[in-house]
Amino acid sequence: MPENPFDPVTLSKIASMELRARLVVDGVLSGIHKSPYKGSSIEFLEHKEYSPGNEIKHIDWKVHARTDKYYIKEFEEETNLKCYIFLDTSGSMEYKSTGVSKFEYASTLAASLAYLLLKQSDMVGLISFGDKVLQYIPPRSRITHLHVLLNTLSELKPAGKSNTSVILNEFIEKISRRSLIIIISDFFDDINKVIKQVKYFQFKKNEVILFHILDPYELTFPFETITYFESMEDDRRILADPKSIKDRYLSGMNRFLEQFKQACFENQIDYWLIDSSTPLDQALIQFLARRESTSRPLYKS
Amino acid sequence: MISFLNPLLLFGILGAVIPIIVHLINKKKAISHRFAAIDFILQTNKRISVKFKLRQLILLILRASLLAFLAMALARPFVKNFIGGTPEKDVPASNVIIIDDSYSMQYSDNHESFFMSAKIAAKEIINNLTKNDDAAVITCSSLGSQVLPELDYDKKNLVNFIEQLQPSFATTHIAPALDVAIEVLTSAKASIKRIFLLTDLTRNGWDIDWFKSGNEKLSSHVSNIHIIDLSEGRELKNIAITHIEPQINVSERSAESTIKVTVSNFTPTRIKNLLAQVFLDQTKVAQGFFNIDANASETKEFYSSVEKGKGHTGWVEISEDSLNVDNKRYFAINTSNKLDALLIDGDPKTNIYESETFYLEKALNPGREHASSIKPTICSIHEVKNFDFANFDIVFLCNVETLPPEKIHELDKFVKEGGSVIFSLGNNVDANYYNNSFNTLLPHRLHTARTFSSDSPLSEEQPLHLKATEPIHPALRILSETNMSTLSSVKFYRVFYVDPAPLGNCKTILSFSDDTPALIERQVDRGRCVLFTSSIDRDWTDMPVKPFFLPLMQQLCRFLTGNIAEEIQGETLVRHDWQSPCPEDTNSLEITNPEGTKTVLQPQVINNEKSFLCNETNFPGIYTVTVDGKPHPQFPQKFPVNVETTESNLDKISQKELAALMGGANLTITTSPVSEGSEVLMGEAKKTLWGTLLFLTICILFVESFVSRK
Repeated sequence: MPENPFDPVTLSKIASMELRARLVVDGVLSGIHKSPYKGSSIEFLEHKEYSPGNEIKHIDWKVHARTDKYYIKEFEEETNLKCYIFLDTSGSMEYKSTGVSKFEYASTLAASLAYLLLKQSDMVGLISFGDKVLQYIPPRSRITHLHVLLNTLSELKPAGKSNTSVILNEFIEKISRRSLIIIISDFFDDINKVIKQVKYFQFKKNEVILFHILDPYELTFPFETITYFESMEDDRRILADPKSIKDRYLSGMNRFLEQFKQACFENQIDYWLIDSSTPLDQALIQFLARRESTSRPLYKS
Repeated sequence: MISFLNPLLLFGILGAVIPIIVHLINKKKAISHRFAAIDFILQTNKRISVKFKLRQLILLILRASLLAFLAMALARPFVKNFIGGTPEKDVPASNVIIIDDSYSMQYSDNHESFFMSAKIAAKEIINNLTKNDDAAVITCSSLGSQVLPELDYDKKNLVNFIEQLQPSFATTHIAPALDVAIEVLTSAKASIKRIFLLTDLTRNGWDIDWFKSGNEKLSSHVSNIHIIDLSEGRELKNIAITHIEPQINVSERSAESTIKVTVSNFTPTRIKNLLAQVFLDQTKVAQGFFNIDANASETKEFYSSVEKGKGHTGWVEISEDSLNVDNKRYFAINTSNKLDALLIDGDPKTNIYESETFYLEKALNPGREHASSIKPTICSIHEVKNFDFANFDIVFLCNVETLPPEKIHELDKFVKEGGSVIFSLGNNVDANYYNNSFNTLLPHRLHTARTFSSDSPLSEEQPLHLKATEPIHPALRILSETNMSTLSSVKFYRVFYVDPAPLGNCKTILSFSDDTPALIERQVDRGRCVLFTSSIDRDWTDMPVKPFFLPLMQQLCRFLTGNIAEEIQGETLVRHDWQSPCPEDTNSLEITNPEGTKTVLQPQVINNEKSFLCNETNFPGIYTVTVDGKPHPQFPQKFPVNVETTESNLDKISQKELAALMGGANLTITTSPVSEGSEVLMGEAKKTLWGTLLFLTICILFVESFVSRK
């Protein structure tokens, strides 16, 4: 049986981040449709007879020379979406039970989204962070910008603690209005603070999408034997009998997820919980399909 | 005070540290796992860590105590009992060791037999006595031969005596052994008097009636009775042949034996296909299989042809089990020589039913052919001259009026040379003629004939009846109790009275109800004569139609011709007496037992009769009887001796029953193996604790598995 090319493990075997992103996005999308919005752009659309009030600079003099009539050029306008991708690179993102780590999954997801957006001439920026900003690449729409983004993504190494709310706070002023903000993290953080910061973004008419990446072991806690559990962000370690704590762990985890989901719902934040064992194409298709059904497509159709 | 039988095993308690070490190693060996969602574990673990640690601690304690208890149980702790034992070694004690040597003690299930264990235990007890203690040894079933009833300080002597003890084939008799033990201890000077009873605790042999009176003696003369159950409290299973009944059918051409075999299953389970084999004259002649329900018996018949005219011995055996003594049972059968009898009919009739000898001939030879070992030949007075008496073993004169003088002389000679003659009377008999002609043969002179019939006008009294005279004559021994009881039902309407004074060495076999003789035997030189004082047909009596007439006539013939030895030798049981009447010409008898040991018997008077009595029947098997080294026709050549089957049932007497039986006595009962040490044997281990400890260990194991699964 051939391997599923979108399986996270299969994808992780592809060294080039660009290849990964291309594979995912090209597989998911059959083609990008042009934007229905009109505006100033360099692409010519049609001629229109001049009428008073129209700007003189738009009169096509060549047509006037041939026809002796005044025609005005109309141009197709392209959307100028700015997208900021926040990628959590804290130590906890390095966790992997089987297959790929949450970070590998998250960075491939970020690369795929960047590729998708750049391909339709949107501007994409990247902020990688732990408890502080590690990399900030401002948004650009040139396709060459993709290489910058992907090179940065492939060089990132998860480490340290995370402090999402502080990072978001830093960017509230920097990010212009009507931008798309994508945050990819495991959100082992104070979610109330995160939501609070996200709400500031929303206030500035930004749209926020949260990708909550978790490992299947974090969701199911399938451990059997007595184990020393060690923190991935600091020196904490604890000896525990998984069988005796499993029920309480799962109920704690479910409560956390439920609260997070509920807060996002109440604040109209697009929240996506993704199990890192889910094939990436499947996760993307679901995401894009639902975005389209809610009239908030991420790509132009 | 708690002591231990295997104190060395207490080192096993150190094993309790193993779980602690394992716990520490496991703690060290716990795998490390870097985990992102550790905050959730921390939140959870805070709440349950105390519970988790507590559970670990409980498990640790349970596992450590499990090993400690197990080690303690294996060290066999017990609480010492000083009630009957010697609290201090200086206080002298007198001991009687009773060893059960009954054949059930030969029970052995892959180990040494109970009897061997009993010997080991007895020696261990002797070895544990101090120099101030003395002891006597008694066996249960054979007080006569295997007993050392004197208290002896010499331990070596006692041990040697025990070494020489052999198991017997007899049954258990606890009460007589206790009687002897009490007698021995009554005369003992020591302040502590103990009885050690080494037995398998089977129910058989405990004489409950004895304990009603014996209890008092036990409690007043004995400080302590310690019973050592060598079966270690186990249920004992046994299968035994409990009865065999050989029968012999002799015809003109052949003889066939039928052996009825009863096998009993003394086990709680059904047995299938148990092989039983019949051996005759050392050769296997038949075999079959038994399927017997639990605690039930089954009887089967086995057939085999045998050679006529000689004695045969054999045995039946079943497959081996834990107790083999009762798996074999012996028998002896004797197909006696054909007897030729001449029946001189003094009153022949055209209608043969009315002939004088009709009933007699049918009694001697009941079948169509000569199925009986007696061959009767009938002749009339006129034909008698054609017969030579010497060709016959016995001659019947049935209502014979006269005999030719030469025949009278021949008859006289015939008897003196060992022949036998039976006179039966009737209407043709003239008393004077008989008294004159057969003077040398008749036991009594004939007097007058008298009639006893209520129907007859000449009658004076009611009809006479028969009764046996005491002691029972050997010729009557074959008659069953039923037959003997019907003697009184016979009616005699006319009989001959005889002169009271006998004419020679006479014995009355049967009498009439008025005590006048009915059947009289006289020894004449080597022969015998019998006078029946009534008719042998139905003219004067209804005796010929009575059930006992046939066996009486046949047995009478055998007795007179020296073939009294019964065809089927009834079995004699081990330690029971074998008895046989003593003929006039025999002064001693030799009995050879199955081991080849000869015993010479002298006649002794038993119940006014000279008899041989053999009580040396200690072994099961075939015993041979000889006179001067040769078989004698008056005795069976061989007789079988078998074990008593009451001992085959190995039902145990419970400790409760024993305690109730010996109410007043200070009793301890040990069911522990002999190998468990002298404290157990000496009865010092009153209460063993290892059972409780093992139970605790199992409980801990159960709790541990429950807690560790949770």
